[in-house]
Amino acid sequence: MPDAATPDIAPLAVTAADLHLPTQPFSAAGLHLELVPAQARYSLRARDAGLLAATIGRALPDRIGDTLDGVIKLGPDEWLALLPAGATLPLGEGLPVSVVDVSARAVGFTITGPGAAALIATGCPLDVERMAPGRATRTLFETVEIVLWRQSETAFRVDCWRSFAPWLWAALVAGAQG
Amino acid sequence: MSGYRLPTGGRVDRAKSVSFSFDGQSYTGLAGDNLASALVANGVTLFGRSFKYHRPRGILGMGSEEPNALVTVDRGPGRTTPNLRAPSVPLHSGLVASSQNRFPSLKFDLGAVNDKLGAFFPAGFYNKTFMWPRSAWEKLYEPAIRQMAGLGDSPTSRDPDHYASTYAHCEVLVVGAGPAGIEAALAAAQSGDRVILVDEQEEIGGGALADPAQWAWLTDARAQLLALSNVQLLERTTAIAHLHQNFVVAVQRLTDHVAPAQAQGAREKLWRIRAARVVLAQGAIERPLVFDGNDVPGVMLASAGRSLALRFGVAPGHAVAVMATHDSGWHDALALAKAGVHIVAIIDVRDDVSSDLLDAAGAAGIAVHLNHAVIGVGGRHAVKSVTIAAAGSSAARTLSCDCLLMAGGWTPTVHLWSHAKGSLRWDADWAAYLPDSIDDNVIAVGGGAGAWNYGSGVAVSNLPSPKPVHQQKAFVDFQNDVKARDIRLAVQEGFRSIEHIKRYTTNGMATDQGKTSNINGLQIASEVLSKPVTAVGLTTFRPPYTPQTFGALMGHHKDALFQPLRRTVIDDWAVANGAVFENVAQWRRARYFPQGSETMDQAVARECLAVRERVGMFDASTLGKIEVVGPDAAEFLNRMYTNPWKSLEPGRCRYGLLLREDGFIVDDGVSARLAPDRFHLTTTTGGAARVLGMMEDYLQTEWSDLDVWLTSTTEQYAVIAVQGPLARAVIAPLVAGIDLSHEAFPHMAVREGTICGVPTRLFRVSFTGELGFEVNVAAEHGLAVWQAIHEAGQAHGIVPYGTETMHVLRAEKGYIIVGQDTDGTLTPDDAGLGWAVGKKKPDFVGKRSLARPDIVGAGRKQLVGLLTKDPQVVLEEGAQIVADPAQPVPMTMLGHVTSSYHSATLGRSIALAMLVDGRAKLGETIYVPMPGGTIAAEVTGMVFLDPKGSRLDA
Repeated sequence: MPDAATPDIAPLAVTAADLHLPTQPFSAAGLHLELVPAQARYSLRARDAGLLAATIGRALPDRIGDTLDGVIKLGPDEWLALLPAGATLPLGEGLPVSVVDVSARAVGFTITGPGAAALIATGCPLDVERMAPGRATRTLFETVEIVLWRQSETAFRVDCWRSFAPWLWAALVAGAQG
Repeated sequence: MSGYRLPTGGRVDRAKSVSFSFDGQSYTGLAGDNLASALVANGVTLFGRSFKYHRPRGILGMGSEEPNALVTVDRGPGRTTPNLRAPSVPLHSGLVASSQNRFPSLKFDLGAVNDKLGAFFPAGFYNKTFMWPRSAWEKLYEPAIRQMAGLGDSPTSRDPDHYASTYAHCEVLVVGAGPAGIEAALAAAQSGDRVILVDEQEEIGGGALADPAQWAWLTDARAQLLALSNVQLLERTTAIAHLHQNFVVAVQRLTDHVAPAQAQGAREKLWRIRAARVVLAQGAIERPLVFDGNDVPGVMLASAGRSLALRFGVAPGHAVAVMATHDSGWHDALALAKAGVHIVAIIDVRDDVSSDLLDAAGAAGIAVHLNHAVIGVGGRHAVKSVTIAAAGSSAARTLSCDCLLMAGGWTPTVHLWSHAKGSLRWDADWAAYLPDSIDDNVIAVGGGAGAWNYGSGVAVSNLPSPKPVHQQKAFVDFQNDVKARDIRLAVQEGFRSIEHIKRYTTNGMATDQGKTSNINGLQIASEVLSKPVTAVGLTTFRPPYTPQTFGALMGHHKDALFQPLRRTVIDDWAVANGAVFENVAQWRRARYFPQGSETMDQAVARECLAVRERVGMFDASTLGKIEVVGPDAAEFLNRMYTNPWKSLEPGRCRYGLLLREDGFIVDDGVSARLAPDRFHLTTTTGGAARVLGMMEDYLQTEWSDLDVWLTSTTEQYAVIAVQGPLARAVIAPLVAGIDLSHEAFPHMAVREGTICGVPTRLFRVSFTGELGFEVNVAAEHGLAVWQAIHEAGQAHGIVPYGTETMHVLRAEKGYIIVGQDTDGTLTPDDAGLGWAVGKKKPDFVGKRSLARPDIVGAGRKQLVGLLTKDPQVVLEEGAQIVADPAQPVPMTMLGHVTSSYHSATLGRSIALAMLVDGRAKLGETIYVPMPGGTIAAEVTGMVFLDPKGSRLDA
C-alpha cells in the first residue's frame, strides 16, 4: 500500500548493546544485588559418586538439589563445584569420571533482602517461595539458563553464562524496580 | 440532562464527583462509576457505530461481554488504547474517551449508508463481491473496507509505559470473585494453603454488586480475605488463558484506573500462575433476544439494567419495558421498580409464568403481557417505543418507553474450562453448555457450573414476529453485525457445521469471541437445520478471554531487554577500534574494522591482503566448544562424526563432520584430542546449543552405556585466531612451554602451555588457508591476551579482521560454512566432503541414509565454484542458476549461489554454488539471470587459492 504515513516511532533509548556488567552493587526497595568475585567452578560428572568423590577428595551431596561445601548436585550424575578462586581439582585421567574446569564460563550474583524470592519469581518458573535454604537447581530466568542457590531465607546466589550476565543483571534490576 | 441518576442507591460515592470527557464533551460522574454508567447517568445512549453497517449502538451489557460500546481512551502521547469496553473503563478525574468507527461524528456518520444498503451486504458479502480484478484487492478494496469497517485506530507512537510480570504458585487458584468464588477462596484458605483469587472487575463481588441484600456479607467477606495472609487477592485482574496443567495467565491492570498524573510504576502486570487446583467461578452471561430492532441504543440486557440501577444508582431509562423469556428478567424488573425505576411492562413469550412472579408484578403495579413478544423498536439513536404482539397475531400495540431490557436466559462462562480442554455437556434447562469432565485438577462452581437458581425460562431462537426473518434487523452478533438472516442464509447456501457457519457469517469471531452471540447463533442454526443443537457442533474458545495489550504479554522484554545480546570479552575492544558489527545467532560479532572513511569492501580487501601477506587476528570466541571426557570419549565421537576418531593421537586435531540420521550435514568443526579420554570439540557459532543437545540426546537415549560426558565450554574460553605467514613470529615471544616450530607443532595439532603467563590450549589450525593458530585462554584473560597479541603484532603489521573478511578468506580456499553453503539437504558428497567420510567405519549417525538410492543417484545438487566471465561482476548470494537464459519463464533452475565475494587477493570475484550435477559440469558455462541482465559464469572447482595447501605448512 503506497504512502501509508510513516509511524512516528522514536529510536530506542537503550539497546541490548548498552548493557554491561555492573561496576557497583544495586540497592533499592530492600533488595541488594551484587556481583560475586571470580572463583573456581568445576563441572563434575560420574555414574559412581563414590569414585568421583574419591577422585576429587571431597564429599558430594547425595540428593539432587542439595548442596554440600560449595558443591551442588544438579542431576543424577552431575555436580557443580563452586570453590575459592584458584582452587583446582584432579582431573581423574583414565577414570570413568569427567572433571572440567568451567571457572570462567559463568558470572555469579548475590540477591539479598526480604524481597529476594519475589524478585527471582518475576522471571523464574519454579516455586521459589517453597525452595528451602540450602537447596540449589539449574533453571531459567525468562530465556536465560541459571543455576539458582538459596543460601538463606533472604539470600540467593545466581550463576549464568558470562555473555548472558549483562542481560540478566539488567533484567533483575528492572524487576527490582517494578 | 442528568435526570438518570437515581436519588439514592448504588455503590457510587455521591460526595465525590468526577469530571471526564467523551467525544470532546465534558461530563460529570461519581467516584465508583465506570465510563458506561457515568454516560448513561448523563443521558447518553449512543456509544458507537457498528462494525459493518455503522448502525448507532448503545451499551448491551455492563461487563466484559459488552460488544457495542468500544471506545478509545487517551492518556497522553503514546498512551491511547483503542477498543476498550466502556463498562470496563473505570472512571477517573480527567478521563478522555472517544467513540470509534464513525465519520465525521458519532451522531452523523456517513458510513451509516451501509445500513440502508444492508440488503446488499449478506453473509459472505466480501468473499462474493471483491473477487475481481484480483489486483484491486490490495490497492482498492482492502484499504477501503478497512477504513469503513473497523475498530479503533492502533497507536502509532512508542508506548512509554512499562509492564511487569511474574510467576506465582498456589495450591488453589480461584478465578472470579462473585459469591461462589469468594466462598471457594475462603473455604480453601482454611487449610492454610496458598490461595490466589483473581477478579476482573474494579471491586470483587460479581453479581452481588448488583444485589444490595448481599452487600453486608460482601464487605465482611472481603475483610476476611484481606486478613488472611495465605490469600492473595488480585483485583482488576483478568485470567485470560488456562493452559496445560493448570498454568493460568492473568493480567492485572495497575494504573489505568487512576489519572495519568497519579500513575506510578508498571501499567500492567502479567501473572503466570501454576496452581495445584483451579476453581473456575466465572459466572454466567445473560443472553440477548433476537428480534427486529434489538440493537437500537437503549435496548440492553436486563442484567445491565440491574447493574446500572442497583450498583451504580443510574436508571437505564425513565420508562423501561422488559422483554423476558426467563424468570430472571422478572426479578430484575421487580428490583428496578423497587429502586425507583418506572417499569412500563413485562412482556414474556411464555403463557405460563409462576404465580409468585405474577403476584409480585401485580403488587408493584407493573403491566404484564404474557404470550407476547416485541416485534419492533421505535427510534434510531435511542428507544422511543416498542411494538408488541401476541404470538401468531399481527395485532400489534405500541408501548411508549425509552429503554427495553432483554432477559433471554443465561450462558455459563466456560471459556477457561474450554481452554483447559474440559468437555462440555448440553443442558436443556439452561439451554446452554455446562462443564462436564476435565483431566486437570479443575472444578467449576457457581453460575459458570450451572449451580445457580435464578428461575426458569425457555430458549427461543427468534422472537415470534409477523415479519419474515429476512426483513428483520435482528442481530445475533452485535460486534460483527451478524443478523439472524445471515445465519439462515448460510444454512441455505449449504453450510452445516457451526464451525463453517461461524466462519462464513463471522458470528462469534469478533473481539468478544461471541460471549453474547454463540448460543443464539447455535439455536438459529439448529432450528433451520431441524437438528438438535448438539448435532450442529460447538465452536472453540481460545485465549485470551478478553483482548489484552501487547505490553502485558511482553513484560520487560522490550528495548534493551528484548532478548539477550551475547558479546565476547573482546567486544569492548572492537567497539573502541571502530568495528562494524553483525549479529550471528544471539551473538554480535565484529564484521570488519574500517579505517577512516573506508567502505566495507575497502576494509575487507585491506584486511584480506594483510592476512595473506602478513598477519591478522580474529575474535573466534563465539565458536561452540564442548569438552568430551571419559574412557569412551573416542568411541562416542566415532559414532557421532562421519570420520574415524579412535586413531587420532593426543595432541592432534581433526575436522569433524556431523550428519543427521537423514545423512544431511548439520554441523562441522575442528576438534582436538587433549588426552586419551579428553577431547576439545568446536562447533559452528549458531550450532553450539543444537549440537550439544543432539549429542546429549544420543548419549542419553541410544548409548547410555558409554562412559563419556559432555560439558559446554563455549564461554569458558576466549579464542583468538592469529592467521597469516607471520603468525608464528607474532605469538612466539608471548608463548611459553610450547615448541612452535613446524616440525614440533604441525598443522592440525594442539599444545598446552602458557601465553602471556596464563594457561592456553593452543591450536595450530586454519580457516584461512594460511599458517594459523587459535589461542584458547580462560575468558577472563581473553581481552588482555588479545591486547598483548595486538601489540606484539604491530612490528609485523598485524590487523584485526572481522567475520566478513573471514568469509572471503575461507571462500578463497573453498571451506564451507554450514548453514550458508549448505541448506539441510546436502550430504558430505554433495558438499565435496566425501573425503571426510570413513569408508571402513561400521556405523555413524547418518551412515545408513548415505546409501539411499536418491542419495547416491545422479541429479543431486553439488557444491562447486563459479567464476564470472567478467571478473569484476560479483554474483548475488541466493541468485538462481540456469543452463539456458533464453528458455521461456519459468526457466529450469539448476541451483543457486551460496557464497559470493570480491577477492582482493585474486583480483576478481569468486563464488560457491549448489548446482545440479555440478562436478560433472566443470568448465561449462552457466547463467544467472538478474534484473539488470544475465550474468555468465564458468563452473570450477571450489578451491580458488593454493589448491595444494602449501601455505598451511609455512
